[in-house]
Amino acid sequence: MEMDSLPNGNNTATGTPTGATVGVNSTPTPSSNLPRLTESLKLEHQFLRVPFEHYKKTIRANHRVVEKEMSAVISGVNDAAASNFSPDDAVNHLNSLVSRLQGLKRKLEEGNRAEHLQAQKCRVRLDHLESADAENMSEWNNTRLKRILVDYMLRMSYYDTAAKLAECSNLQELVDIDVFQEAKKVIDALQNKDVAPALAWCAENKSRLKKSKSKLEFQLRLQEFIELVRAENNLRAITYAKKYLSPWGATHMKELQRVTATLAFKKDTECATYKVLFEAKQWDYLVDQFKQEFCKLYGMTLEPLLNIYLQAGLSALKTPYCYEDDCTKEDPLSQEAFRTLALPLPYSKQHHSKLVCYISKELMDTENPPQVLPNGYVYSTKALEEMAKKNDGRIICPRTGLNCSYTELVKAYIS
Amino acid sequence: MGESSIVRGACDLNIKMEISSIKDAFDRVAKKQKLCSSKSQETVDQVGREIEQALAALRSPQDPSTLADQKSVLTELKLKLNAIGALQQLEGPHKELNTSLGKYQKLLEKLLNPDISKAYRNVDFDSHIINQIIASHFYHQGLYDLGDSIVNEAGEPDATALRSQFLEMHQVIEAMRTRNLQPALTWVTANREKLVQIGSNLELKIHTLQYVEVLQNGTRADALKYAKTHLAPFASLNKDDFHKLMGCLLYAGRLENSPYSELLSPFHWEITTEELARQFCSLMGQSYQNPLSVVFAAGVEGLPTLLKLANVMAAKKQEWQEMKQLPVPVELGKEFQFHSIFVCPVSRDQGSEENPPMLLPCLHVLCKQSIIKLSKNSTRTFKCPYCPAEATVAHCRQLYF
Ligand SMILES: [Zn+2]
Repeated sequence: MEMDSLPNGNNTATGTPTGATVGVNSTPTPSSNLPRLTESLKLEHQFLRVPFEHYKKTIRANHRVVEKEMSAVISGVNDAAASNFSPDDAVNHLNSLVSRLQGLKRKLEEGNRAEHLQAQKCRVRLDHLESADAENMSEWNNTRLKRILVDYMLRMSYYDTAAKLAECSNLQELVDIDVFQEAKKVIDALQNKDVAPALAWCAENKSRLKKSKSKLEFQLRLQEFIELVRAENNLRAITYAKKYLSPWGATHMKELQRVTATLAFKKDTECATYKVLFEAKQWDYLVDQFKQEFCKLYGMTLEPLLNIYLQAGLSALKTPYCYEDDCTKEDPLSQEAFRTLALPLPYSKQHHSKLVCYISKELMDTENPPQVLPNGYVYSTKALEEMAKKNDGRIICPRTGLNCSYTELVKAYIS
Repeated sequence: MGESSIVRGACDLNIKMEISSIKDAFDRVAKKQKLCSSKSQETVDQVGREIEQALAALRSPQDPSTLADQKSVLTELKLKLNAIGALQQLEGPHKELNTSLGKYQKLLEKLLNPDISKAYRNVDFDSHIINQIIASHFYHQGLYDLGDSIVNEAGEPDATALRSQFLEMHQVIEAMRTRNLQPALTWVTANREKLVQIGSNLELKIHTLQYVEVLQNGTRADALKYAKTHLAPFASLNKDDFHKLMGCLLYAGRLENSPYSELLSPFHWEITTEELARQFCSLMGQSYQNPLSVVFAAGVEGLPTLLKLANVMAAKKQEWQEMKQLPVPVELGKEFQFHSIFVCPVSRDQGSEENPPMLLPCLHVLCKQSIIKLSKNSTRTFKCPYCPAEATVAHCRQLYF
């Protein structure tokens, strides 16, 4: 399936595309104002950053493996030198070190392949960014919208639709489905009230989470503690708290105290302060927290890109006229859905008049100047000329019904 | 024109250079990564070889002094590995790799905008609404699989409201692509009155396409019959078109060598198909352009300006969250201009019902309040700020755009 639709107007191809594509435009043709290309490409930080973070992560993990295995082998040799092995034991010991090194070699090769693949992905993104130019910007932006829709779907856990859209538009290399696979495991588990994968993820990214002062692990631990209290397993809860919660005491004492106080209340407490800790929505909250940390770690924006672009677009388009009954259907803000989204956003601002002909919907500018009817209604010269040609020089005002001659019109000068 | 294309060229060049410098930085990263990984392999091999050698020595024919020998072999191995300094060997290139990774990341942050959410206003952006918009977006484009998929996955059964209508439209258009006009004719006939009401002669255009097909592929009698039945009803309102079409009868079967050959152009099919889609959307109360695409495109154009503004206002976070109107214009292309907005050139105020645009006798336009001010509360004549002409308030007329 092909998602691009026909381009506007004159360069419509004569060949008929196959498949479900039909003549409904998906994007307005851009105007020829383009020092904007540069500005517009600068918005693509996340597009380059995410595969780069993935690449870095693989490099780090590989390095950790080599370091760990190598020091194990070296201390194995040191041990052997210090001990009084029998000849057979000494040989066996060294043999085991040799096979350990062979295992490491295999892992290194695998790791190197993974690094190479991820480097490729970074390069594909750079090439894609480089491929944008003024001529193909409209098509490039169509792809951009699809990428950003995939980003939205992945963040919302609509993995199937994300995968379908990526596949049918051939975008696999340009979206981060693989990265989100990692998140999916953790989120699925949290939704099943299982914190283990989330804790494993925290351990894996320990130093970076610490640097960003994340308290996700603490929150996960609190939840585990609450589950022990819920099961009325108080002794284990206390042991658990000593082991896993007390290290956070220095930085998060208040929360720690509040949660450990539940020991005195049990799960059916009516006290609002503690009742909420037992509610199921705490798990949704953990999912949200995890998503935030995950996005931060990969250099993604915390909000879906789609929301950011939509807000910007709606603010730029929003005028008081959008909310009037006669707002043209071509204005997205004539639709309830967009109106609701735009409600809390500021109106756009104009420094200069921008006049649109009521009849032709064309811009009235020096090439198509506005003309005033005797009743003060204004239309574009082109539309009025066309009307006069059809009507033997008569003009009928479409909004008031006034009938006048073309010769009665005057041009208005709008600066 | 010439000047703007030079500016554009310069900017394109600029971004191209920046991307190529990013690429260079990435090549450096990749090179260090290769170095690092081959150093690791090398070190592993080296350590492996030493252990293998020690093993060989241990396995060599044994004599009574074995135990002492074994001890010295192992100690020697230990010393050799110490001398190799495997861990330090690994660390060096890895450090270099880390440095170039850091440099690359800094470069990305410098050349691109590292956080486009700075322009985001923290308001509830209802995901149900967004899901519905996305589903409609796919249906609008005829991508039913994708539309259905997100409706299911997001659990938004109400989002299918437009599905069947868009399906019908796409079927009509699809049929036209294979030169089958029947579904299109059925639709225009069913919606004849509404189409006439909005001043569309789409029905005539579709019949014209069919008539030309008959002219080329059928007999002259067929064509005449078709014209009498289907074109004649439009004759009185579209005299010129009708005469032209009747003139074609003389060239039935050989239109390509006639003064009317232009009628055979596939262009007519394209524009008629497009017009049908437009009218179909319009009768559905929907836009022809895909609204999500329009808002998104406006976002792409507007976001850089908003980010600059957010940067300037960084210290006034509260103001950013609360402002009712953007303090600066966000310039969008004319395809995003849906409403007439009059801005008084004197006061810079936006026209409104209370403060409408007024036409001066000299044909310059100012807002009402500016005129009242210039005329000292309508008490005296005043000079137009844009020409030498004089005016009184009584001689100014309100304009309606
Ligand atoms: Zn004047």
